[in-house]
Amino acid sequence: MYAQASNERLTKWLMGAILVIAYAFLYMPIIHILFASLSSRPNFPYPPEFDYGSYIRLYTNTVYQDAFLNSLIIATCTSILSTVLGFLATVGVLRFGGRKALLYAAFFAGPLFVSEILLGISSMSLYYLVFELQGNMVTAIIANSVHCFSFCFLIMAALLYRYDWRMNEAAVVCGASPARAFYEVMLPLTWSGILGSLIVAFVLSLNGLDISFYLLGATPTMPSVAWGALRYGVKPELYALSSIINILVFAAITVLYFVARSDKKRPME
Amino acid sequence: MSEAENRLNRRLFLHIPTVFLVIFFVLPLIALVVLSFWQTENYKIVREWTAMNYVTLATEPAYFIFFIRSLFMAIFVSVFSVVVSWPIAFFIVRHGGRYKLILSLLLAVPFLSGEVLRLIALQGMLGPTGLVNGVLLKLGAAPLRFIMYSNSATFIALVYLYLPMVVTTVYLSLLNFDFRLASAASACGANRFRIFSEIVWPLNLSGTIVGFLLCFIPTLSAALAPRFLGGPNGVLYGMSIAQQFGESGTWALGAAMGVVLFLFSMLVLGVFSLGIDLRRTGFTGMGRQ
Repeated sequence: MYAQASNERLTKWLMGAILVIAYAFLYMPIIHILFASLSSRPNFPYPPEFDYGSYIRLYTNTVYQDAFLNSLIIATCTSILSTVLGFLATVGVLRFGGRKALLYAAFFAGPLFVSEILLGISSMSLYYLVFELQGNMVTAIIANSVHCFSFCFLIMAALLYRYDWRMNEAAVVCGASPARAFYEVMLPLTWSGILGSLIVAFVLSLNGLDISFYLLGATPTMPSVAWGALRYGVKPELYALSSIINILVFAAITVLYFVARSDKKRPME
Repeated sequence: MSEAENRLNRRLFLHIPTVFLVIFFVLPLIALVVLSFWQTENYKIVREWTAMNYVTLATEPAYFIFFIRSLFMAIFVSVFSVVVSWPIAFFIVRHGGRYKLILSLLLAVPFLSGEVLRLIALQGMLGPTGLVNGVLLKLGAAPLRFIMYSNSATFIALVYLYLPMVVTTVYLSLLNFDFRLASAASACGANRFRIFSEIVWPLNLSGTIVGFLLCFIPTLSAALAPRFLGGPNGVLYGMSIAQQFGESGTWALGAAMGVVLFLFSMLVLGVFSLGIDLRRTGFTGMGRQ
């Protein structure tokens, strides 16, 4: 009995050690480039110092500004479009799916299992080569939305499956229009899933290269400019850009954390 | 709710996303197939039906080598990621306590910061002037050659890119797993190995397979990581596709390569999905009804 207990503790510590190593592996590069971006010696920035030169160079570089603006437009539109579609899909599968619910769910998760580069080149084949359309922001937004849609669908489905649909029906019975039932009953109860989906789609499409790359032609986006700069060697400005995005992502995840926590305190059942 | 109204709702909620996916997801894939049977000459498309691209793919050994290299890379990366994710996910679910949410969300930060930025960060670690070799040089040791521009570097990069995804999938599966089943087996006298091999593993197999596939499929078509970190002998299939659509301008050949990649992915997906019960993946929580 004693041997088994100590064995169990050993397994627990072993698993904990793997976890710590994995998180260190995931975070070390991120923290390293944060120091590197703040240092005048980016290759070996230890002991750390605080030099904002690379951030100022980044700020004054107009190429990055245009690219960032384009990325922001794509990410905003993509997150809204894919969240709306994902919401429809979630409600459809969970409420109106019936016996075909699993079939629809598998189809809606499909884009997850087709790699981004295939999505990019196949959309490009359709728009440029078959219809001979010039690449523009709209095509990039649509292709990104296909990819993000699956994530949105899964996130909202995970958070909505416990939702009690009778509440909508109750509201309608009490004389509310379906739209009003949505705004006053459903939205307050499900906003955390919707917000989570918006944030994830926004960040994914802000940073995705593969899809936009094939659909935009010469229009620069932030990842494509970073990729272009990368081919001429890594510069401290890129570290600075990376660090800014990482901090933004971290902030978004913090928001998600508080949303998820407040959600737990007030269970939907 | 009346029957007619129900049908209208079905149409609204299920058919709009379905139509969207058919037009912008299925149709492009069909266009890719069509393009793969055309030709490109001097950066122009020639709309004549021909199977030349597939003949080129079958006869040119370079493409076969790229594909086999990608396949092995994808298998190694996915198996390694699954093996590593199990203890991590298990630890978070069983011993995470009130830090469960923080630990699982922390996985999302590297995942969401995008492939390019993560490769930049990784280059800061692995490159000739990166942290690892910097430390080794400071200590007076020789720099590690195998992490600079090699297939090992690509391996590390791909694990770095897709590990968070696999851990999250296994974590979601374990989170929806009812651990009382394991306690019940233990009470009935099963030892820990048997509990794992007969209860925990089989009941979470679907989620694990989904995690494996979510790593395997993008790794098989990886284009950015090998290009940046793979060095001269590290050309992978996805990277070669990207080159057909980029510098060389041989779109039709690239499309044929894409079709082969897609069909192979679907084959793998089909074989593995025999073992998947969607209700048990923990993704949508539908198993808990």
